Amino acid sequence: MSVVREKRESIPNKPVAPLEASKAITPEDVLRLTKITDTYLCDPDANIYDIDFTRFKIRDLESGAVLFEIAKPVPENVDENSEKNVESDEPIDPNSGRFVRYQFTPQFLKLKTVGATVEFTVGGKPVNRFRMIERHFFRDKLLKTFDFEFGFCIPYSRNTCEHIYEFPVLPTELVNEMIASPFETRSDSFYFVDDFLIMHNKADYAYNGGMST
Amino acid sequence: MGFLTVLKKMKQKEKEMRILMLGLDNAGKTTILKRFNGEPIDTISPTLGFNIKTLEHRGFTLNLWDVGGQKSLRSYWRNYFECTDGLIWVVDSADKRRLEDCKGELHTLLQEERLAGATLLIFANKQDLPGACSPEQLKEILELDQIKTHHWQIAKCSAVTGENLLKGVDWMIDDIAARIFTLD
Repeated sequence: MSVVREKRESIPNKPVAPLEASKAITPEDVLRLTKITDTYLCDPDANIYDIDFTRFKIRDLESGAVLFEIAKPVPENVDENSEKNVESDEPIDPNSGRFVRYQFTPQFLKLKTVGATVEFTVGGKPVNRFRMIERHFFRDKLLKTFDFEFGFCIPYSRNTCEHIYEFPVLPTELVNEMIASPFETRSDSFYFVDDFLIMHNKADYAYNGGMST
Repeated sequence: MGFLTVLKKMKQKEKEMRILMLGLDNAGKTTILKRFNGEPIDTISPTLGFNIKTLEHRGFTLNLWDVGGQKSLRSYWRNYFECTDGLIWVVDSADKRRLEDCKGELHTLLQEERLAGATLLIFANKQDLPGACSPEQLKEILELDQIKTHHWQIAKCSAVTGENLLKGVDWMIDDIAARIFTLD
């Protein structure tokens, strides 16, 4: 559904994580990955568009219940408890803003239809062909790929996107293993502008209780 | 990748519909979007960008785009025209003062080449408000009979009560499907 346009000729190499140093990461590259990456494939400062994720929300369409929500306070009241919920016991590192830890109950894996919302703001530059590719793995098994092109984003805009989807049907043994192996279910979220990787976020997931809703 | 796989892939892609929802600010676009998807509608603020929902409906993947309608945002609407299968134009039927503005924006939009193939649904929203114009009245005021370039229909609705939303969207889906999935 995306607009077909001329590919930009050879974008100069931006600094990326050392392991991938010599070449720009393309959407095709990340779609080929067979497991979670060891490193972030771009620097935090590759985000030259000031794209900022301000909300993640997951809801159950059947009951309407919000199962998870984490939001940055709006700029007017930044002073109080910002960035709640982001994992608290890990040491602070420069990548902490790029990582979210989700803790669910086993019931989560039994849901039928789920709505996953992201909200993001954009800086002063217009953004062209903004595309998100998200890969979910349990260990080395690919569970789900999202590939969605937002397209154009208006300067200084606040935007939301909700994917409402049927939860993939997983074999019982796999479900049990996932419950028994907290944080071995993980995801990489890659964000491209004009096919150029500008953000890379990671998340991991536990399904063994923990979180009270 | 084998030929059959390629065919299948194309088919899956074909089952996708891109629906763009536009209209003046405060017409109720976001409320319609949320109501349609079973979300609470009590805390909706003006859209300063877009809201997208992707969902499965009747075997189709619908990508619904709601783009803010404030005057300063309207010049950006054109960035969302590409590949649009259906256009929903939302009207605040009770805001009589701005119906002229509404008519102008709609007719300008319909001249857009990139929207040429799109099915047009006009939602006469806010029918729950006293003094709301009927679809018949809006048809005249907005000069809808002049539209010869698009398949169109006007449907009354209320995003607050949910009245007629599904029916309107289903009409649109049927019209798009008949037009682009005829090989099925």
